[in-house]
Amino acid sequence: MLVMGEVHTGLLQNSGEVAASTCRRLLGLLAGQTVRVSRRPIVHAVSPDRLTGVDCRLPSASQSRVRGVGTVLTRCSITGGRVVQGSSYVRIVRAAVDRRLPWSHYLARPGVMEVLGKAKPRDLSDGFTDDLPGDRLSGASAGRTRPDPARPDPARGDRGPGWSGSAPLDLGAISGRFVDLVQSSPLLDRRAPFKIPRTRLRWVAESASESGAPAIRFTLHNDQLRTLRLVHDGEFTPAVAELCEDLALHDWLLTTLLVIVERALTGGAPGPEAVAKLTPAVDHLLHLWMPAARVDETLTPLWESLERYPGFTRQWQSLVDRIRDQISVNMLTLLIRKGGW
Amino acid sequence: MTPMNAMFGEVTAERRIAAAPLSHVSIELGHLYMEDFEAGPDRLRRMFRRVAPWAGAVRSTWEEQVPGRRARVSTCFLIDDYFSRFSSPAELVPMVLEAAAESDLTIDYLARESACAEPAGLVEDRLVDDPPPGANGSRPPVKETGWLCNGMRSSQAGAVQAMGRAQRWAPPAQNAKRGHSIFVDVELWDETGPHRTWSCPFLAAVWQLLRLGLLRDGGRLPLRPELRPQAWPTDWDALSPIVQLGDHAPPFAAYTTMSVLSPRFLPVELAVRTILSQVAVDAEVLEQVAGRSEGEGIRLEEELVDRISYVFI
Repeated sequence: MLVMGEVHTGLLQNSGEVAASTCRRLLGLLAGQTVRVSRRPIVHAVSPDRLTGVDCRLPSASQSRVRGVGTVLTRCSITGGRVVQGSSYVRIVRAAVDRRLPWSHYLARPGVMEVLGKAKPRDLSDGFTDDLPGDRLSGASAGRTRPDPARPDPARGDRGPGWSGSAPLDLGAISGRFVDLVQSSPLLDRRAPFKIPRTRLRWVAESASESGAPAIRFTLHNDQLRTLRLVHDGEFTPAVAELCEDLALHDWLLTTLLVIVERALTGGAPGPEAVAKLTPAVDHLLHLWMPAARVDETLTPLWESLERYPGFTRQWQSLVDRIRDQISVNMLTLLIRKGGW
Repeated sequence: MTPMNAMFGEVTAERRIAAAPLSHVSIELGHLYMEDFEAGPDRLRRMFRRVAPWAGAVRSTWEEQVPGRRARVSTCFLIDDYFSRFSSPAELVPMVLEAAAESDLTIDYLARESACAEPAGLVEDRLVDDPPPGANGSRPPVKETGWLCNGMRSSQAGAVQAMGRAQRWAPPAQNAKRGHSIFVDVELWDETGPHRTWSCPFLAAVWQLLRLGLLRDGGRLPLRPELRPQAWPTDWDALSPIVQLGDHAPPFAAYTTMSVLSPRFLPVELAVRTILSQVAVDAEVLEQVAGRSEGEGIRLEEELVDRISYVFI
C-alpha cells in the first residue's frame, strides 16, 4: 500500500570526528551482526537492522480508527564520523484476516505492518504527514482535569489503552530512542564543537503503479521538522529509505550551516569574532556535502529534481562561498594591519 | 561516446553469510535429565525403545517425499552437562550409544547442553517482544529483566498508583488470544553475582535454532560439528560441543526438526515456542535457507515455530 518512515539527524556528541573503527563499536546494536562500513566517497557506517513490535492505531487524516500490527525496522548510521542518523520505516500492507495473529506471523515479515480492516492509503499518508508532532504536543500540554472515558484507568482494572484508545504509531519516538542509544555511548566525549538541534524528516513513499507518475515533494514545517512525499517507479526497496536518509542528511547539513552563518554574521560588523564562529563549520561540516553519493541509480532523478528546485547544492555552495569570503577578507585585514599597509 | 556502466564495490560494506549444510529433517532421539542417567542404563534402553518407531515413521515420511534414497535425515541427542555434571563422557557416551543401538537407532550427532549457552547471547539480542495492543513505539517495551511473556502481566491487587487510588487486580492477557487467554511467562535466565545461568527453555530454544541452521555470528556459523575423538575424554569440557559420530552422517542442521520427547517436557517446549515466536532471525539467513529448499522443490513454512514438530510419547 505505502511505506512510512521518520529519520532523525543530529551532530554526534563528540569533540572531533570519530574513526571508522569507533563507528563500528557505536553501531554494534545487535550481537553477532556486523556493522557495514563503506569508505568511498565518504566514510559511512550503518548498524544492523533492529525491529520494534507495534500494535496500534495508524495515523489517519479522517481520524478513522485503523489498526495496524507488525514490526518497525530501524537502523542507525554515522556519516563522516560526524553526523548520526536514526531511521525507522514500516511497509503498510493489507492483512489477509481481520484479527491479530500469533506474533511469529509478524516476525516472519520484518518491517511490515498489517492493516486489520479497511483503510485508504491516501487517508493514512495524509494523516502521517499532516498530524505533526508539534501539533500533538500542544494538544497534550492543554492539561486534562476530568477523566477521559476512553483512557485506561487502572482503578477500573483497565489494562493499557488497547489499540483503539492508543495514540497513533510513533516512528519518531523509535528513531529518537536509537539516536539516544548511540549518543549515550561512553565512547563519545560529549564535547560537541557546537550546539545544534536534531532535525526530523517524516516520509511517505508510494509506488507509481498505484499513485501515478514518479514525483517528490519536500516541505519545511519549522526549524526541525520536514516532510517528504514521494512516488517511485517499481516496488518499494530499502533503496527508497536510503534516498530519504540521504536527503535528511543533506537537509540537516544545510540547516546547520545556515544557523552557523546566521549566528556568526547577524548584527555587528564581520571581524575576527565572526570568523571564530564560522571555523567549526569549516572544521566539521564543509567536507561532508556529497549529495546522492549512495543513492540507487533508479532514484537519482528524484534527487536531481530537488536539485533543480529548490536547489540544495546551489544554496550550500553559496553559503560555503560566503564563509570562505569572510575568512579571506578577515585574513587580508589582519595581514594589512600586521604589515602596516 | 558509448554509455559506460561503472561498478564499484567495497568488501567491508557488504555482508557475507556462511551457508550451513542442511538435511531435510533433524530428529532428536529423546532427552533425559541427569537423574535419569543416574538411574542406570535400563532407563536409557526403555527410552530408546519408545522413541524408535516414531523416529522410523519420520524417516519414512521424508523418504516418500524425497524418493530415490535422497532424503537427508540426521539424528541427534543432547546431553545435559549444563545444570549438573554427572559422570564423564568416557563412561556415559558409550552407554548411550549402546542403548540406542539395541533399538536399531543410530545417533549421528551428540551435543552438550552447555554448547547452547555459548550462542545464547546472540539469541537474546534477537528477541523482539510481542507487543500488547496499544504499543505504538512511543515507549520502549515494558520488560521484566530476564523474563519473556506472550501478553500483558496481571497487575497486583492493592498496589497504589502515584495519584492515590488503589489498583484492582487485573488478570494477565495473551496478546493473540482466541477468546480466552493462555498466558505464558518464561524465565530466560537468573544471575548470582556476575554469573548468569540460562534457563532450560532458553537453551532449548537455542538448540532448536542451531538444528535449524539459523544462527550466525558475524556471518559465520557459531558452532560446527567436529568428528568423534579417538577416545572419549574424562571431562565434559574436553568434549567438542557437537560431535559427529559417523563419517558419512547427513548434515546436522536441517530445514525442519522433530523431537521425540516424554510428555514431562511439554511445559518446557511450550516455553521454547513462546521464546521462538519472539526471535527475529536474520532476514538474509532466512532467505538463504528458503532459496536452498525451493531449489530442491521443498516449500518451507514461513514461521519458524511451524518448522518445529514433536512427538510426545
